[in-house]
Amino acid sequence: MSDTHIVGKRVPAANANEIVTGQARYCPDIDLPGMLFGKLLYSPYARARVIRLDVSKARKIPGVAAIITHADIPGENSYLYAAADQPLLVIDEVRYQGEALAAVAAVDEHTADIALAAIEVEYEQLPGIFDPVEAMHPDADQIVPGEKNVLSSHSFSTGDVEAAIATADVVIQNKYQTQCAEHAFLETEGGVGLVEDDGRITVYSSCQAPHRDRMQIARALAMPESMVRVITPSIGGAFGAKDEAHVQIHAALLAHATGQPVRLIRGRRESILTHVKRHPFIVEYTTAATSDGKLVAVKARAIADAGPYTNATQEVLHKFGEFVGGPYKIVNLEVELIGVRTNNPITGAFRGFGAPQAAFVYESQMDDLARKLGMDPLQIRLLNGVETGTKTYTGVLIREGSAMKASLRKAAEMIAWQKRHSCERQPAPHLRRGFGIATTIKGSGAGRGIADHASAALEMHRDGSVILHSAAADMGQGIVTVMTQIAAERLGIDLASITVTNADTSRSPDAGPTCASRQTMVSGNAVLKAANTIRDSLLTMAARKTKTEKHRLDLKVGHLTIDGKPHELSVKDLALRASNWGIPLHSESLVHFEYPEDAPMATYRFAQEVFQFGTQIAQVLVDCETGQVTVERLIAVHDAGKMINPGGVYGQIEGGIAQGIGYALTEELIVEAGLTQNPSLENYIVPLSLDIPEIEIEVLEIPEPFGAPLGAKGIAESPLVPTAPAIRNAICDAINKPLYRLPMTAERILSIGDD
Amino acid sequence: MFDLEIEVNGKQEQVSVEADTTLLYLLRDKLGLTGSKDGCRSGDCGACVVLLDGKTVNACMVLAPQANGASVMTVEGLAKDGELHPLQRCFSESWAFQCGFCTGGMLMSCYALLKSNSNPTRDEIRAAIAGNFCRCTGYQALVTAVEQAAAELRANNV
Ligand code: FES
Ligand code: FES
Repeated sequence: MSDTHIVGKRVPAANANEIVTGQARYCPDIDLPGMLFGKLLYSPYARARVIRLDVSKARKIPGVAAIITHADIPGENSYLYAAADQPLLVIDEVRYQGEALAAVAAVDEHTADIALAAIEVEYEQLPGIFDPVEAMHPDADQIVPGEKNVLSSHSFSTGDVEAAIATADVVIQNKYQTQCAEHAFLETEGGVGLVEDDGRITVYSSCQAPHRDRMQIARALAMPESMVRVITPSIGGAFGAKDEAHVQIHAALLAHATGQPVRLIRGRRESILTHVKRHPFIVEYTTAATSDGKLVAVKARAIADAGPYTNATQEVLHKFGEFVGGPYKIVNLEVELIGVRTNNPITGAFRGFGAPQAAFVYESQMDDLARKLGMDPLQIRLLNGVETGTKTYTGVLIREGSAMKASLRKAAEMIAWQKRHSCERQPAPHLRRGFGIATTIKGSGAGRGIADHASAALEMHRDGSVILHSAAADMGQGIVTVMTQIAAERLGIDLASITVTNADTSRSPDAGPTCASRQTMVSGNAVLKAANTIRDSLLTMAARKTKTEKHRLDLKVGHLTIDGKPHELSVKDLALRASNWGIPLHSESLVHFEYPEDAPMATYRFAQEVFQFGTQIAQVLVDCETGQVTVERLIAVHDAGKMINPGGVYGQIEGGIAQGIGYALTEELIVEAGLTQNPSLENYIVPLSLDIPEIEIEVLEIPEPFGAPLGAKGIAESPLVPTAPAIRNAICDAINKPLYRLPMTAERILSIGDD
Repeated sequence: MFDLEIEVNGKQEQVSVEADTTLLYLLRDKLGLTGSKDGCRSGDCGACVVLLDGKTVNACMVLAPQANGASVMTVEGLAKDGELHPLQRCFSESWAFQCGFCTGGMLMSCYALLKSNSNPTRDEIRAAIAGNFCRCTGYQALVTAVEQAAAELRANNV
């Protein structure tokens, strides 16, 4: 596809104009006639019995239109990711701080606040369980009655791990801990519900999965899904936390109860307290190798803190396990994955979905192994790395894996890795400089065996303009731009000729959630397929008209070409002819995430089969007096398949790394006895413009050979994955001490001490 | 209620607000200018940055009555007669945003910077947006966009 005219170009995002002029409408910007303001009453306790919940006084306050509790929900009182075990409104016990008990709709925000304060709740505080290991104990109190505290437990093994460990030359065993982390999307969760004249419910939802929202709203309202419509307005970031529902179901319930539009937006504090976080993990990890550095076995046991409800815990653990050995050839591997209920904040999807936790562990371990063997950290990775044709420990054949070693080599070249020791290592008595490398693997798609499809509909009108309907949510990562470019490319038209509607469940069939770096592949393919059908009709028309064989024809930059030369017939002319001849230029496609039919099933359940590789190298300066770490340089080499839009790809890499730097150094939701201590952007420390160096990026454009639209694949998650271990390895190189816990705050670095 | 007069994007407005209404909510709710965003209401994110008498403020931290008689400029006031300001165009071309929720405030901080410094270094640009949190971009493309806009503005002024 070297002669593409729009694919591969750094064109602005599809909605750029609305954004820079302040016209893009997000949930909080939606203002409808008669609209009410919704608010939720949240629990101040991590665990308590609700003895009395009395909304009668609050209901009488002038301006209050409705107050609903669990008893007022017409249908199912539950959220659902895979298991619907979290109530929308608490019945008799709160199990984490921030669980909702009641929903209010009032004429304005102020009145809604007064109503919340007037709701009488009598709690009996209960002793909570905050340590997942304690919660696993057979005698531990059940966090959800009738349900085991261990909500998911899986293991996987291949080869003979014990024998390999017993005969290995070196064995390294460490225990790692990762933190509870907050997404901090800039637009807090929001939804606007309204009742249409015919009784249908429409919900504007700041979400990643409009069709899954629709299903949940329908269940809660006890309505058929066909009576519920979910539309995504502009979305101010999500990063996984809007994959599960948040307040959109409550907004729908309030609209249903009042018959009026209701806008429900979480405040920042509520947002941090209530939505799913990145799972904290405790990992015991053993690596066995030969004396010349070849990995022979990996054994891991991971415990993830789920909070009281299931959410995506099982799925996150599966992905952690899938990548627990990293991008390395390992024959003997054993992993045990345990998800545990506690009374801590709920946890779920967050960019990377288990892969960042795994990478912190396997890449830290790799450096410790290199140090123990006196090997170069780059060499040991090259020695063990996967390549095209490697069969992974999960039983997957890597169809394109050349980026693993290519990214290592390129990154090393960019920072002159072999000469790094000539750099001043101790520029002042208290300052130490270090270099760290990390190379990682991340997959695209939900994984084989999981429903993973998308639809798109395209219609070309008689004037050559095109409308594209897709239900793929764009939270800022750019899928709408990607789809527009693919459609424009195949139809030979300019971007201005394409209008994309917002994701709207009443217009478009399910495109699945925007997660797992999947939409470029699935929705990209859906658009490609629909565009190809229309293209074929246009070319058939053109072949007839020009009396030329079809294979010599193409559509480029608004024109028909014959043998690559522009012809006077424009795409517009062809569209008009088609319309006059009664040939429909309309196509709707349904595609599934493709897997090669001849490939053997993976031995690991739900394994992914399209991978992104990436290597990052960090250069840090550690102030041994304050513990402060400055990231002086960060080199990033990532594999993106064919880039549909370099602006989008580089944006994902830069943004992912920024989040990775926060994950490495400062970001931690501090939870004491179930109570979050830092629920604000002031105290939850995210990187700002001065905290991030100029990132040096190289993209390896290796087209994905299988099932990818024009060779493109996802990139949204993979750049976050190597950052924390690269920084960890650089800090350890600087201070000559190992670190096993995220984030690596100044206090933690100081407490390890200087030698 | 408090009656106030305020000039917003060159237009004189008369509004009455509760004494505790913030400038952000005056703009968003009373005047329908929703390009300034509410990301925290605590002065921590910069999504609400506007110019108040030429100086950047977090509109969530200013009470509307304090802005009585003042002139305010928001992201909606950047384009003139439908023509984008170079900053807006460069933001689009450089992918200086993803979700766009920080963009209104970010543009105003950058606009103020370029008013006082026509040729800022990358570090100066970073310092100027240090109070504008962006969770999506990693800031790098933003800095590039501002550099390019500054170059364009300088070229136009010659
Ligand atoms: S909303 Fe004003 S600083 Fe965040
Ligand atoms: S673009 Fe999303 S917060 Fe800046």
